[in-house]
Amino acid sequence: MRPEPSTEQRELQAAAREVLSREVDPDKLLRWESDATGFDPALGRTVADLGWIALGLPAAAGGGGADLVDVASLVEECARGLLPRPLLGAIRSANVLAAIAPDDPLLGPIGRGESRLAVAIDEIRDRDPGRFSTRLGGSPAARIVSGGKAYVPDAAEAEFHLVASRAASQPVFVVVDRRSAGVSLQPLRTFGGDRQAHVHYRDAAVVREIASARGGADVLDRVWRVQTALALAEMTGGMSAVLDMTVEYVKQREQFGQKIAIFQAVRHQVADMGTTHTAARHLAWQAITRIASGRERDMEMTSAVAWVGQAFKRICWAAHHLHGGAGFVVEHRLRFHSERAQSLCVRYTPEAPALREIAAALLDAPV
Amino acid sequence: MDYELTVGEAAWRDEVRAFIRENVDPGLASETRLKGNEGRGPLALRFHRALRDAGWWGIAWPKQYGGLEKSAVEQWIFIDEIESAGAPMLPLTVTSVAPTIMRVGDEQQKREWLPRINAGEIDFALGYSEPEAGTDMASLRTHAVLDGDEWVVNGQKMWNTMAHTATHNWLAVRTEPDAPKHKGISMMIVPMDAPGVSVQPIWVWPGLRTNALFLDNVRVPRNYLVGERGAGFYYAAMALNFERLAIGSVGMGRRMFRNLVQLVREREVDGRPLKDEPWVRDRLARLQVDLEAGRMLGLETAWALEQGRMPAAESSMAKVFVSELVQRIADAGCEILGLDGQLHPEEPSALVEGRMQWLYRIAPMLAFGGGTNEVQRDIIGFLGYGLPRK
Repeated sequence: MRPEPSTEQRELQAAAREVLSREVDPDKLLRWESDATGFDPALGRTVADLGWIALGLPAAAGGGGADLVDVASLVEECARGLLPRPLLGAIRSANVLAAIAPDDPLLGPIGRGESRLAVAIDEIRDRDPGRFSTRLGGSPAARIVSGGKAYVPDAAEAEFHLVASRAASQPVFVVVDRRSAGVSLQPLRTFGGDRQAHVHYRDAAVVREIASARGGADVLDRVWRVQTALALAEMTGGMSAVLDMTVEYVKQREQFGQKIAIFQAVRHQVADMGTTHTAARHLAWQAITRIASGRERDMEMTSAVAWVGQAFKRICWAAHHLHGGAGFVVEHRLRFHSERAQSLCVRYTPEAPALREIAAALLDAPV
Repeated sequence: MDYELTVGEAAWRDEVRAFIRENVDPGLASETRLKGNEGRGPLALRFHRALRDAGWWGIAWPKQYGGLEKSAVEQWIFIDEIESAGAPMLPLTVTSVAPTIMRVGDEQQKREWLPRINAGEIDFALGYSEPEAGTDMASLRTHAVLDGDEWVVNGQKMWNTMAHTATHNWLAVRTEPDAPKHKGISMMIVPMDAPGVSVQPIWVWPGLRTNALFLDNVRVPRNYLVGERGAGFYYAAMALNFERLAIGSVGMGRRMFRNLVQLVREREVDGRPLKDEPWVRDRLARLQVDLEAGRMLGLETAWALEQGRMPAAESSMAKVFVSELVQRIADAGCEILGLDGQLHPEEPSALVEGRMQWLYRIAPMLAFGGGTNEVQRDIIGFLGYGLPRK
């Protein structure tokens, strides 16, 4: 047992922290917020040149061959330093594709930052894949896909979409070129900075179908696990940053002639933030390491899903309370983390389905 | 990052489980239940003898003192498994006092006390609190004055649990009246059969006995003062940190929760399976997740200890979280059982062994005992995050 990062992971995180402290600041975050792409092209190139997108991709695709735990360590630090969401999305979607199609020819250009991939799963009223209306059609030689995908992150900027659809009763992922005929987008103003859009595919040409010997449900499951693992890492990174900035703030801020950290009511809120963060970090990393090794058991991952997102939000609420107005201004880093907390939570770690799953395992599964 | 038990740790867990299978039977579980886990009934004493015979009394002690020298994580595994099985816990003599003597006692004191503790000849009650010194332990008034080669002790202690069965008291006394209050306290071992020691029972809400201890000109050999004069406040804090490793374990909570889940799976209310009630499902699922969070905090404490750190902030986090979680389990349990949840454990129709109402009664103690949760939150702030004291 070693519930802390390895030396290599620490070094990776330290290097990322140094880059992000130089490249990301509140003024830039504000500018990127109103910008179409959400980040500077120069920063995009830096991220690609540093090998961050390719870190977890196979060596044959020019990747670093790192495992999911290493990638999650990087993502944790990137979230801590508020790397723009579209770039975090680029790391995530690259690793999703590598997990289900390690030989895909798109991995090379994606890893080099020349191409981007959006992962399109949810539909406007349905998150249950069994209810997805997006269908695969056409002939085996010329597949087409039709249907609508909702709230797709980075949909407008990514050249390719990885689309969850159905063929007969089986789920299947297909790659679609966003620029092809039959693909239309409705960009959305959302918070969280991940540039979402509704996408409609009307008989859009399929570039490639992701095959799996173990069936489409297995592919869907792996996509979900990789996305969840990396979302958990984003959350632990964000909550670490929020906790640290709050500790520093209460140590500096003076009211009634003394530092507010002197007040027990303030100190106890920080203590509870710390306890919540510690438990969340271990729950998250236990889940991430188990997903990476394929040794999941019991309800560890579901427990992390049910707990970590809520923990992140609780920590953000407490931080806002302790910062008061100082943390409420648009340029403060805190509110970026708070937005991301909710945005990540509703997409990757909604509490209610996780609790339903845990209840079913406790009460309905055969003993 | 690795959350898997090592091969050695997994083997140790299996060994502990095998021991439990062999030595914990329904009679022992029932006795422990009825005696409120005091661990002093005949079957509990037999269980403790079996632990000693297996060489498991001082599992985390160094081998030179007769221990197994198990790591902190292995000790945590042991506590978790024992609590989860409903077996009597190792006494605080072994898990809190002895490790403190090992760290602060002189060689003669270690030779005198540790082998006898290991042989089960010595059992301590812990004498920290007084009528006017609870959370503010540094204000204690019980004092000792050196008279030749003996200390003469006078004063009163409260909440001196086990004093009526213990052989000795691990007593915090003021020996340096002119020093600042935190630096005037020493830790002293007082034999319970010394003239001038008397005990009065105090019965508390969950049906447990604790005691008031009176010391009237009690004479104690000079070398029964452990470690340095005036350092007792810090020694008591150290002993409390060891104690919190056990309080911060979710083993007991997991056992209670497991029994509650089993009942919910089987029970019908208003002609419908209880498990189909949405509020019951939601409440149990939340508790399950919280138990896993609490388990991680306990593990964090053990891991920090294993790295050679005194995990004061970590053990306080575990203590706060788990003690408040037990309150939530107790409350949920009572509500889920409804009117049946009121029944005493000895009522034939009591559900889940009548433990939910007992847990409801004992849960407050977990939050104020072993250092109140307010103080624990202060410790987390000061030691975990470097918040200023002044």
